Amino acid sequence: MFPQFGATADTLSKASTIVSRIGTDAHLYDDPEDVNIAPLLESKFDSEKCEALKRLLALIAQGFDVSNFFPQVVKNVASQSLEVKKLVYLYLLHYAQKRPNEALLSINSFQKDLGDSNPLVRAWALRTMAGIRLHEIAPIVLAAVSKCARDPSAYVRKCAANALPKLHDLRLEEHSSTIEEMIGMLLCDKSCGVVGAAASAFTSVCSNNYSLIGKNYRRLCEILPDVEEWGQISLIGILLRYVIARHGLVKESIMYSIRGEESCWPKKDDSDVDFALLKNISDMTVNYDVGLASMVSRCYIEGPDEYLSWLSSSGKSYAEQSGATFTSGRSNDDVKILLQCTSPLLWSNNSAVVLAAAGVHWIMGPMENVKRIVKPLLFLLRSSSASQNVVLCNIQVFAKAIPFLFAPYFEEFFIVSSDSYEIKSLKLEILCSIATDASIPLIFKEFQDYIRDPDRKFAAHAVAAIGLCAERLPKMANVFLEGLLALTRQETLTSDFEHGEGDVLVQAIASIKSIVNQDPPSHEKVVIQLVRSLDAVKLSAARATIIWMMGEYSNLGEIMPRILTTVLKFLAWRFTSEALETKLQILNTTMKVLADSKGEDLLTLRKVGSYVLELAECDMNYDIRDRARFLKNLLSFKLYSQGPEENVNISSGRLPHVLAEHIFRQQTSQLTREPVNHRFYLPGSLSQIVLHAAPGYEPLPKACSLLHDGQLQNETCGTDLLGDGADGSATSSGSLDEESVTSDYGSEQSSTVLSDSGSSDETGSVSEGDDNADQLIQISDAGYSHNNKSMDQSSTAMDLGELMSNRALESWLDEQPGSSNQGKSDQNLFLGSSARIFIKDIASRLKPKCYSLLDPANGNGLKVDYSFSSKNSSISPKYVRIEVTFKNCSTETISEVSLMEDSSKVSDSTESSLSSPTDVSMLAPMEEITSLEPGETTYRPIHVCFHHHLLPLKLALYYNGKKYPVKLKPDIGYFVKPLPMGVEAFMDNEARLRGMFEYVRSCTFTDHIEELNKDRSDVLMKDNFLLVCESLALKMLSNANLFLVSVESPIAANLDDASGLCLRFSCEILSSSLPSLITITAEGKCSEALNLSVKVNCEETVFGLNLLNRIVNFLT
Amino acid sequence: MLQCIFLLSDSGEVMLEKQLTGHWVDRSICAWFWDQVLSRGDSLKQQPVIASPTHYLFQIVRGGITFLACTQVEMPPLMAVEFLCRVADVLNDYLEGLNEDLIKDNFVIVYELLDEMIDNGFPLTTEPNILREMIAPPNIVSKVLSVVTGSSSNVSDTLPGATASCVPWRTTDVKYANNEVYVDLVEEMDAIINRDGTLVKCEIYGEVQVNSHITGVPDLTLSFSNPSILDDVRFHPCVRFRPWESDLILSFVPPDGLFKLMSYRVKKLKSTPIYVKPQFTSAAGTSRINVMVGIRNDPGKMIDLITVQFQLPSCVLSADLTANHGLVNIFSNKTCSWSIDRIPKDKTPALSGTLVLETGLERLHVFPTFQVSFRIQGVALSGLRIDKLDPKVIPQRLYKGFRALTRGGSYEIRS
Repeated sequence: MFPQFGATADTLSKASTIVSRIGTDAHLYDDPEDVNIAPLLESKFDSEKCEALKRLLALIAQGFDVSNFFPQVVKNVASQSLEVKKLVYLYLLHYAQKRPNEALLSINSFQKDLGDSNPLVRAWALRTMAGIRLHEIAPIVLAAVSKCARDPSAYVRKCAANALPKLHDLRLEEHSSTIEEMIGMLLCDKSCGVVGAAASAFTSVCSNNYSLIGKNYRRLCEILPDVEEWGQISLIGILLRYVIARHGLVKESIMYSIRGEESCWPKKDDSDVDFALLKNISDMTVNYDVGLASMVSRCYIEGPDEYLSWLSSSGKSYAEQSGATFTSGRSNDDVKILLQCTSPLLWSNNSAVVLAAAGVHWIMGPMENVKRIVKPLLFLLRSSSASQNVVLCNIQVFAKAIPFLFAPYFEEFFIVSSDSYEIKSLKLEILCSIATDASIPLIFKEFQDYIRDPDRKFAAHAVAAIGLCAERLPKMANVFLEGLLALTRQETLTSDFEHGEGDVLVQAIASIKSIVNQDPPSHEKVVIQLVRSLDAVKLSAARATIIWMMGEYSNLGEIMPRILTTVLKFLAWRFTSEALETKLQILNTTMKVLADSKGEDLLTLRKVGSYVLELAECDMNYDIRDRARFLKNLLSFKLYSQGPEENVNISSGRLPHVLAEHIFRQQTSQLTREPVNHRFYLPGSLSQIVLHAAPGYEPLPKACSLLHDGQLQNETCGTDLLGDGADGSATSSGSLDEESVTSDYGSEQSSTVLSDSGSSDETGSVSEGDDNADQLIQISDAGYSHNNKSMDQSSTAMDLGELMSNRALESWLDEQPGSSNQGKSDQNLFLGSSARIFIKDIASRLKPKCYSLLDPANGNGLKVDYSFSSKNSSISPKYVRIEVTFKNCSTETISEVSLMEDSSKVSDSTESSLSSPTDVSMLAPMEEITSLEPGETTYRPIHVCFHHHLLPLKLALYYNGKKYPVKLKPDIGYFVKPLPMGVEAFMDNEARLRGMFEYVRSCTFTDHIEELNKDRSDVLMKDNFLLVCESLALKMLSNANLFLVSVESPIAANLDDASGLCLRFSCEILSSSLPSLITITAEGKCSEALNLSVKVNCEETVFGLNLLNRIVNFLT
Repeated sequence: MLQCIFLLSDSGEVMLEKQLTGHWVDRSICAWFWDQVLSRGDSLKQQPVIASPTHYLFQIVRGGITFLACTQVEMPPLMAVEFLCRVADVLNDYLEGLNEDLIKDNFVIVYELLDEMIDNGFPLTTEPNILREMIAPPNIVSKVLSVVTGSSSNVSDTLPGATASCVPWRTTDVKYANNEVYVDLVEEMDAIINRDGTLVKCEIYGEVQVNSHITGVPDLTLSFSNPSILDDVRFHPCVRFRPWESDLILSFVPPDGLFKLMSYRVKKLKSTPIYVKPQFTSAAGTSRINVMVGIRNDPGKMIDLITVQFQLPSCVLSADLTANHGLVNIFSNKTCSWSIDRIPKDKTPALSGTLVLETGLERLHVFPTFQVSFRIQGVALSGLRIDKLDPKVIPQRLYKGFRALTRGGSYEIRS
């Protein structure tokens, strides 16, 4: 355990390494380039490839750039040998970001490996593929990850969980909800290893999405002890945050001390801590540390902004400000189970786990149980030396906030010689804050030992610690003082100033100063003793302190005033030979005493004073000269007035006199304790160690912030499977139930006609005849009432009524063969015309999204916005038409505005590799705007060909002769054009594009709720159902250039039930003219958030996935 | 999330870098780090967390090698430190030691191990048993094979079964001809004796080390006859918490091979086995030192490998030390080491000599602390006794062995 390498052992081991190097890769590391690597990579033999790759790896290890071998290495990715594969992967991951184009060549091979029967191969392929981190392949990786997340092998699933943060790193907002969905799924995994990895993915991807945790909070708590250690660390943090967001803080915990109530301090019958001791301490702590404890808890909850604002307005009480909510740890099951499941983790072998678990108990644990974290934390100090420093930093905060927790264990903080300087000073600080009247004799004895330590810096620290302890425990002050004085005497004799050993002396005198300051009258002799030793004390800092004390306590007791003049004379005489700080103090003290003096001393002092001032005014140091001038002016009345009586009479009312009085005469108010000037951060966080908020640091969530969201979540998703704790917040039916409910409604049964007002009666009767009796009445009732409503409606109902389902109409037509022909023709006519009418009608209400290209602040007053147009480009079908608005917001005329390609960037654009190589310019030339008057707005359509549907296009905007680089963000919704087709054609196409061309995602849709609420007040109330259709269609059409094929809806049992509503859209991809079909199926109630399932059928895989993501993105 | 791991030699050379995430960390950070080490000395080396201008650095030093990890975002610092310790342990285990040459000679294995141990800055597989199955440690056979045939793969082509099992620390199919399990109590005594000779603190830090070679998946229970003396405990992940909570019994499925089952501490002991009595007398610029060592409380077994170490204060210019028994060495950094080994029957070992102080110093005012190390085989000074070790399902023959050992931990005598 403690390797002590002797000299012989060292040489022996050297000798033995020479022997052992045979057969290792030593020669490869030493001389990686002694053979030509390139031909080896092309070799047929795996062993040669291996050697080449090892050489490359050696070069990487040594920091050389060998990315030029990338193409040759990538070729080997298809190798069957696992060792070659592994080495290639290592190389690939190192350079993939630098050589994205070549890295893409490996994708095929990864995709093949993903289908391998060996889980290890699958896992490696997934890890490497995700590790390449290129925007182009993000959808492919996402697909791969979602496949692997369902892999039978737990190891592969774990790797899938780890891959999610890699994807998240690419910052693709379209994918974020899919990623979160997948994390939610993996959190429910049956293998504990996967859950652990999912937990850490959760922390780095969506640490605030508590709904994922709420679903299986209880289960996560229960498996916590079985999750592997690294996952435990993340999971503990997540669970803690969730509980706080959900239920708030615990009333019995330390966090409650925010209120400053004494009731939270431990009960007297506490068993473990000595009764008398505890009583003492708690008396003290109540007076002393509530402030600090509440400070700590406040820091945990508040972010930096709030902290700052709080600092500036320190008056208000925190509890009032935040209205923090508390729950009871005794009755809240969620809190209880968390504490219960984290407490065995305090025995964990991993120090990070122990600290994380201790953090939970510290924040959430009832006050009387917090002490259970003490012993495990202290044991960490001994059992894992590497983490000692970090653990001590955390203990320091705990001990400061609640000293009595650690007070009985003061021995743990005794210093051993192997401790580093940082650890020693941390331990000293902790000892100071936990010392009690019972333990201080022992601690003081230790301090005395430390003073004799060869490390003088540390010895000085120990002396300072004595001063601090004296402040806390005034009873011991006299004992300390004696010790310190003895030390001063000894140090004055022996100290050797060359090695900075004076530190001890300086500290000793500083400590004496602080003790004297507590009760000056009783320590008069001490001051005199120090003043007497002035002659012997050589250190300027120590001298300065003594001189200051002399001035401060100049009129203390009997003897002091008598010796004062003599000492000052002596100091004035020595003035020129003193160091800077001493000189300043001599100046101050002389003036202070002078301002105070009366009677015969005054004359002498005046002489001394003017002598010192004269010397000081000619000093080399400007600080001293300035101080001298200042004091001279301030005290001129004292220095130069004629006689004492006159002085009193004349100058008492004058300003300088009052000033001087205030500056010199006022006793310095007792600084009881230095104010806590740094923030506290959460226990176990990096920020707590470096003492600033590291990027990504988040304070605890707002108490009960989840309550509102949570309810909404629970209602919409019906996710709270496990039921709730005592507080009984809303629970609803599980998602499983809901699914089973919807599956009851077959499409045939539920398809109905959302007819126009004219045919409403007929429809009602049709469905009556159509279905079986039980449901019939209900349905017809529903249909009837709904039709009544729609009848009431005027024109708006008319066009919405035209959203007629084709199939439903057909079924109706089949029932009534007599009118079939007419109906068919009607329908065709109707569909043809209605489509146009519909779009036109809707179009008036479409609000195309406007993006800003250049805002007036950056563009000297020119404001440029753009929106995607649904019109086709007149130049070429591949171009997208964009309406650009130029507005002059400045007061001057802007001339010669034009938009061009940013030619400098185009050529090396790495992204171009995926899209078809094209030499057409990306931007059709725009008509130049010759001048733009102030306030004038001009529109120009531009035609753009995006090379890639995710990456922004860099353009240059020229005006007034200057160039402004701007970025045009693509919107994949406009990379398509409407493809009019009938429902049959839609079905045909859909049937053709099944399997791998079909992608489904689900999302929630809430837009209509707002609409519904808005309309409640209207007398002419729109039908809920129509409104849902309308808002969905509107949303779709205003965000993408689509053709609405049909709207179908079932006859629902309930009017409010939108389940089964189905919208179909079609479009054609501009670049490839391939059709692309979109089907949206809704589920849920009209008045609540709807669960939508969006399906895209498209031959172009990547485009389809991206389109789907975009749709889901704007729908939610 | 860790972004990069560097391995630095004791001269500050970057031996290896492993980028972990898309946030590329330039190795110039190591140069910055090493500058700091040079300018601030050893105190920086003992600081596990350092905030550099661009990154937060975590470091541990093992066998002269600095393991440096970087991040830019908030993460539990102990997670990084603990992970680096794990890496060091695994490498130490694989390479049978840890020094610059070993790392360089086996850099491919180091890379492969790191790749398996951490994924995207988050620990993946750290269980030594599983790693051994995935990446074969270098051994004589593979070395010879690679010399003879020029090719050998140390990358396993199958996924260890344990990754999927509920006991991820144990390989699933283990077979032994002889089933045996050895339990060692290895204790270290920490003591502080102040300059009056009073015992300030005396405690035992102990570990239960188990070496198991048992066929199949055995389920063992280990109980102590006096578990109540244990003050603090920490367990290997294999130990089930429930039986310990209720009955103070260790119930576990052991990993294969050697592992640390638990560590514990017994506090407030009253007696130490060895006394050390240092004496200093100073006069006129020199100081006379006299140290005596002897047995205070005979533990009943032989105490050997006794060594007394102390650091001469910096104000001592030269020292002349002799001992009537054992060997005295003074190293260049003014550390003295007096190795006594066993205390002879006929005399009390004593060290004496004179220290010449710096000019200007009359007498010694700072005094060194003496650190004592020793070994007592066959006894656990804490008094902890193992009661019994039982497998749940008894195999045909299970050989059980128990041993105990006590060493000096931080055993200090102040003067």
